[in-house]
Amino acid sequence: MREERAPGLLAGDSLNLRLARRSLGLIALCLVLLPFADLAITTHDPWAELGRMLSGLLHPDLLATESLPHAIALTIGFALWGTLLGMLLGFPLALLFPRSRLLRGGCAFVRAIHELFWALLLLQVFGLSAVTAIAALTIPYAGIFAKVYAEILELTPRAPVDALPEGVGRLSRFVYAELPMVWSRLSSYTRYRFECAMRSSVLLGFVGLPTLGFHLESAFREGRYPEAGALLWLFYLMIASLHLWGHRRLLPWIALGSLFLLGPWPDIDGALLWRFVSVDLWPQPLLEGNWSGLWQWFSEIPDLLPAIGNTLLLGLMGTAGSLVVALLLWPLASRHFGNRPTRMAGKGVLILMRSTPELMLAFIFLLMLGPSMLPAWLALSLHNGALIAFLVARHADAIVPGSHALPASGRYAYELLPRLYGGLLALLFYRAETIIRETALLGMLGIATLGFHIDSSFAYMMFDQAFVLLLITAALNIGVDALARRYRPREIADTPGQHDRPAGEAPC
Amino acid sequence: MSVEELVRFDGEALGHARHTVLAELTLGLQAGERVALLGPSGVGKSTLLAALRQRLGHRAAWCPQEHGLVPPLSVYHNVYMGRLERHSAFANFLNLIRPRRDAWHEIQALCGELGLEGLLKRPVAQLSGGQRQRVAIARALYQAREVFLGDEPVASIDPHQARRLLHRVQNQHTTCVIALHQRELALTHFDRVWGLRDGRLMFDTPARELTLDDLDTLYPDAHSSDPQPEPA
Amino acid sequence: MRWLVACLLILISTAASAETFRFTAIPDEDQSRLEERFDKVAHYLEDRLGVDVEYVPVKSYSAAVSAFRNDQVQLAWFGGLTGVQARRLVPDSRAIAQGKEDAEFRTYFIANHDSDVDTQGDDLPKNVQGKAFTFGAKTSTSGRLMPEYYIRDQFGAPPKSLFSRVGFSGDHTRTIALVESGTYDIGAVNFKVWDAAVADGRVDTDKVDVIWKTPTYPDYQWTVRGDVDSRYGNGFTDKVRQALLDMHDPKLLESFPREGFIPADNDDYQPIEDVGEKLGLLR
Repeated sequence: MREERAPGLLAGDSLNLRLARRSLGLIALCLVLLPFADLAITTHDPWAELGRMLSGLLHPDLLATESLPHAIALTIGFALWGTLLGMLLGFPLALLFPRSRLLRGGCAFVRAIHELFWALLLLQVFGLSAVTAIAALTIPYAGIFAKVYAEILELTPRAPVDALPEGVGRLSRFVYAELPMVWSRLSSYTRYRFECAMRSSVLLGFVGLPTLGFHLESAFREGRYPEAGALLWLFYLMIASLHLWGHRRLLPWIALGSLFLLGPWPDIDGALLWRFVSVDLWPQPLLEGNWSGLWQWFSEIPDLLPAIGNTLLLGLMGTAGSLVVALLLWPLASRHFGNRPTRMAGKGVLILMRSTPELMLAFIFLLMLGPSMLPAWLALSLHNGALIAFLVARHADAIVPGSHALPASGRYAYELLPRLYGGLLALLFYRAETIIRETALLGMLGIATLGFHIDSSFAYMMFDQAFVLLLITAALNIGVDALARRYRPREIADTPGQHDRPAGEAPC
Repeated sequence: MSVEELVRFDGEALGHARHTVLAELTLGLQAGERVALLGPSGVGKSTLLAALRQRLGHRAAWCPQEHGLVPPLSVYHNVYMGRLERHSAFANFLNLIRPRRDAWHEIQALCGELGLEGLLKRPVAQLSGGQRQRVAIARALYQAREVFLGDEPVASIDPHQARRLLHRVQNQHTTCVIALHQRELALTHFDRVWGLRDGRLMFDTPARELTLDDLDTLYPDAHSSDPQPEPA
Repeated sequence: MRWLVACLLILISTAASAETFRFTAIPDEDQSRLEERFDKVAHYLEDRLGVDVEYVPVKSYSAAVSAFRNDQVQLAWFGGLTGVQARRLVPDSRAIAQGKEDAEFRTYFIANHDSDVDTQGDDLPKNVQGKAFTFGAKTSTSGRLMPEYYIRDQFGAPPKSLFSRVGFSGDHTRTIALVESGTYDIGAVNFKVWDAAVADGRVDTDKVDVIWKTPTYPDYQWTVRGDVDSRYGNGFTDKVRQALLDMHDPKLLESFPREGFIPADNDDYQPIEDVGEKLGLLR
């Protein structure tokens, strides 16, 4: 009798083996390229500063910040109006989305540029005004809404449409038999995006718009940690209590009320605006039609290739790091492991990590470890890893384990992970686009990615250079997104509850 | 006066692209005839009904198998959808916000007859399986067409209710084709039975000439395949 | 009723904004409670100028420049380099006054003791080469422009090829903190910020100290838009300048912080403009 040979390591064609090979490939690529990353720890004595930081977090001083209610109101107002207008623009676009390649390209482009960079761009034309803040959220969100709404609409069940009598008009069919079928998913995604908008709205303060982030950044930068601590706690509180004040019936009133705080509206100087879009944004040689001069101009952009390399490398490292963090952390918040108190604590830690703006996390690590790529890597991995871990734990909780006798490690490796892994990887590959976007952003902390040079170009008022770098950043993001889409697992083995499809948790 | 023939299939093959479900079908539907359509699941009952629906166009009211209801909308709006094509898009849109008075009264009366009184404003998602089935029937009745085509419209309803509903449907439509799996009902409530098995029409016979044993021949595993009706 | 009040408020705010004179300023250090501190300055100017004056808080000098360019502020307290940027973007705008200290401003190079850099001397010590170095903000005159100028002047090489690592802390206070914690060996910092930190005991001079003081150069100044005379009345620019020069109340001056203001004009900043162009920060 012939003995059946045990399969070789990772050989075979089952779904999970393919996924395992794919993830190991990702991690291997990351390890091979790791020597090219600057990961030095240069700090000798971070403890005094960290001690001050910790004591500030423990003894927050809420009264240190002036006009705090105004900052809170503006944070909410910007987030609300940005989401609302993004939704109003994105929804009609979503209907045309499957039909127009041009539209898909345009949406990918506006999505690929981070809110903060939009703000820097708009700041030049609309100044420090609500128009800048709201448009900086609305423009990329319209692109995101168009894409995600289109994905949700594509999955509309066909049965009610088939049941309609012959000759029903397109519009009637849509509002009766299609829209109501996906309404709850559309609105739950919109809510989720509003939460993202709150985070982004805080970030807008980092470039000078008067939200919570304005004070948070100053306080952190100048080492006023009791004030910074208070603002950070306040921010967590606002996110955590979103379900209380973010009620469907309350939001329209908040939106209307905040209108009165958003002014004064800027007087838009038409000539200035025109000069900005027709002259400032374009390289001088290009406007003159001087091609060799253009080449010269292009070669004068400092460190372009290293910046692109660093951006991609940090993106790859961040993705691989998020995978490892997610794999390690998801059991913290799952009902299959530990007891009630440990789960509560685990969930708390994950929510804290995913709510803290990456820029803030990176900044704290920067103080601890010094100005290499390491702080950014840790921040990206922890933030995104925690976010994915949280969702995976939710998926895991919907699984009923077959055998209760298994020890925790066995439950993890044999019972749960095989069923969750496809979903986890799909989420990770969805996040890849976001991670690369954030990579550019972390450049504002001085890590030599494209974002660093974009920030510099804006500071030096070289808008043409900033614009070209933004275009390059957008192209990179679109490329990475296409790549991630190509390798994203489609055939997810066993994802409980189709409501939790990753589409609903797309980039933030 | 000869009876009008509404639809005729002459040795035709029905199915989806490239996949034939029913081969060489020869069959006619006469006006005023109540037809029961029997056969094991997957044999092509739905395919045949879809073909009939296509041929009949505006003359047929349609009650699909999985109801095809819109769970988030109210019973009223689901029933209203039976006449969606008869109003302008704008009128339909307004009706979502504020029901039309005339439609409301008509649907209220219809739902009363079907045992759905007091539920008009309730979202379909909150109804039981039997209630949803009745909403689907109400929507088909509300279409007010000449012929009723139903794909197992009384599948998950208890036998007593099922009889009542069939009566109600047949009161309004002298012509109907209804797929069933309750064989007794086929003999008691219909003029003619179409029996499908193995991709072809096994018989097309007046109901009074058939016995339960004849019908059993349609099902390969007769006695175990008889599904128990679920309580409503 | 609520609507009526709201509409009235809007009317009042738009009516007021039509002729309000707005200014912005950022202190060298301690950017807490900006509005509270500068509202006092706004009141002073209101009294002197006879128009409504409002303070607009900003976060960075580049934000101040874009507010100035967009006419959201008509008067601004800029750094040397950002003032030049602003005047290039807004034709006819003028520097009208500078701080008493700003005519002879300096940058201090500071080093962590563990970095073993020789302290003091007439030049920047030779053994700073190969160390980790941080500037302040990217467009700071004292934290970036002038230190880079003197580094290139002495070593004939750009900072990037001289140091093992070049960073931008974003802020003078942060530069001190980063050098004190050893994250960077050396930093370039605004001398006033350093002196104030030492005086307040906020810095441990056993860990970090000054290794070199640059020669002097002009820095912060008040810049006003060129169209204010036509908008707020003839001679308005001179009125603003006189009001600034007459500001003697220490409570007002400590917001900047300066001892007082003296006259200045665009030509005073020609050296800064030249250096900016040479380093490729202006074009």
